[in-house]
Amino acid sequence: MRINPPDAYWKKDVALFFGRRFALLIKMIYPMAIIVPVAASGIPAEYAAAVIGIVAVMAGTFGAGESLTIDLNDGILVRVALTPTSPRRIVFEVLAVNAVLDFVQLLPALVIVYVLHPVSMMWVLAATFAVFATLVTANAIGIFIANFTSSPADVLLYATAILFPLIYISGFFRNRHPEGILAFLRNFVPFAYMNDALKAVFGLAVKAVPVEIFVYPAVICSVLVFAVCMTAPRLLSPRL
Amino acid sequence: MERPVALEARGITLRYRSSGRGVEGLSLSVGWGEVFGLVGPNGSGKSTLLRVLSTAVEPDSGTFRVGGTDGLREKRKVRARLGLMVDRPTHYGDLSGWANAYFFARLYGVNEAKAEGALSELFEYFDLAAYRDDRVKTYSYGMGKKLALIEALAHGPDVLLLDEPSLGLDYTSQLALQRKIRDLSASGVAVVIASNQVDEVESLCDRVAFLHEGRLVEEGTPEELISSLQGVRRIVATLRNPVEYGSVESVAGVDQVVPEGQDLVVHCEDRPGIVADVVGGIVRAGGDITDLAVRRPSLEDVFVKLTGETLRDED
Repeated sequence: MRINPPDAYWKKDVALFFGRRFALLIKMIYPMAIIVPVAASGIPAEYAAAVIGIVAVMAGTFGAGESLTIDLNDGILVRVALTPTSPRRIVFEVLAVNAVLDFVQLLPALVIVYVLHPVSMMWVLAATFAVFATLVTANAIGIFIANFTSSPADVLLYATAILFPLIYISGFFRNRHPEGILAFLRNFVPFAYMNDALKAVFGLAVKAVPVEIFVYPAVICSVLVFAVCMTAPRLLSPRL
Repeated sequence: MERPVALEARGITLRYRSSGRGVEGLSLSVGWGEVFGLVGPNGSGKSTLLRVLSTAVEPDSGTFRVGGTDGLREKRKVRARLGLMVDRPTHYGDLSGWANAYFFARLYGVNEAKAEGALSELFEYFDLAAYRDDRVKTYSYGMGKKLALIEALAHGPDVLLLDEPSLGLDYTSQLALQRKIRDLSASGVAVVIASNQVDEVESLCDRVAFLHEGRLVEEGTPEELISSLQGVRRIVATLRNPVEYGSVESVAGVDQVVPEGQDLVVHCEDRPGIVADVVGGIVRAGGDITDLAVRRPSLEDVFVKLTGETLRDED
């Protein structure tokens, strides 16, 4: 399969990702630089899981949202949207390719975590899938934010406003044993399932079983992806 | 069955909420193989109309059809038939020119072999073949414009919408573009050009519509429009120094005086002695004339006559 010259939106993003060599090096190194020392240290398991979770959430949200607003400002995305390609397909490809590329960045660091903290294959797969679901969710949030602003700086601001409550509900640092409405809401946040899976990888006992980590985030992500793709006509129209 | 016209717009109105500007009740019809010019100064609504016709934005009211296909209800079908060059073309700077053009050709549904064939020909035609593998961020403005033209043409559109296509192109490329437009027109492609480069519009377009403050003020062939100006002259005086030209404006028969760089362009009636009076007015204003030309009326003079304004902003 030929990536460059690209014949689809996702291939264009892949070609650009691998074409900027210095940026690629930085992108591949920074998750390792943060995650590996944490995994190798003796810090409590819940904090180690939280740090990895934060890296995944931030990488996903800022990645898609920022690059999308830059392309929107540039006018190139509107030009792409004026081809016969479906706008929803374009947004789906933006979301999918950004999530996969973010995942490629995080995967080497995750592999080192699994090597340093051996755990059953089921939990390895569950944690890996949960990280991917988090990246899909975070990218969906980034794309959703791009509907309301054409400024990359605003994306950071709005993302913070949306992510803080979600991170709180997921119990990364506070609210580890939610009750009532917070416990109910936690079921709908994919970050929470990732947090559970990573805690299990670091040796903590968690209530969730691996099958829940596969099923619930998959369902939630499907709904989110569908919802974000429905915003495509608005997202890809010129900002006048 | 009769073939529907290439492009038909009826009562297009679009007002920008932020500025209140836009277009109001515009209707036009472009036939197959026709080259149609949209002429008007900056802010007259040319680009807004092209935004609507390219399906980028929906009008507040009005409809349009491309080859009989509804531009509001069947956007993707219409997009497939359009070739589009926007006023400020952008590209993926970290990809090569070839990769950018190939990407767009494929998004328009052109298969691999056809895309490669069409692009090779167009890169040669527009003298970009030697730079095809360079990153677009190293391209000059004119090269970027040529690349945008290639992207507009590669899929073989039925209707071509070009916004200021020759702006920023060197002379050779302008000629190449004009030749290409004539070839496309001869093969049945309808072309809409938004421009205020009157020489180009005059030589290329079969029909011209003048836009002013979002409204269509006149439409016709360039010959019809210019012949309506019998008795009008344009005097172009090149000056060594800029002057206050109030005394020229007060010369009897002078309609409008517009400075363009070192030139002072005087739109006036064709009456005996007016050239001497205008020269006298310039000299009285302290102007040192280094060159003087009396030109036949152009589309620009038609626009001045119709609206009392010029096509170009004053320098």
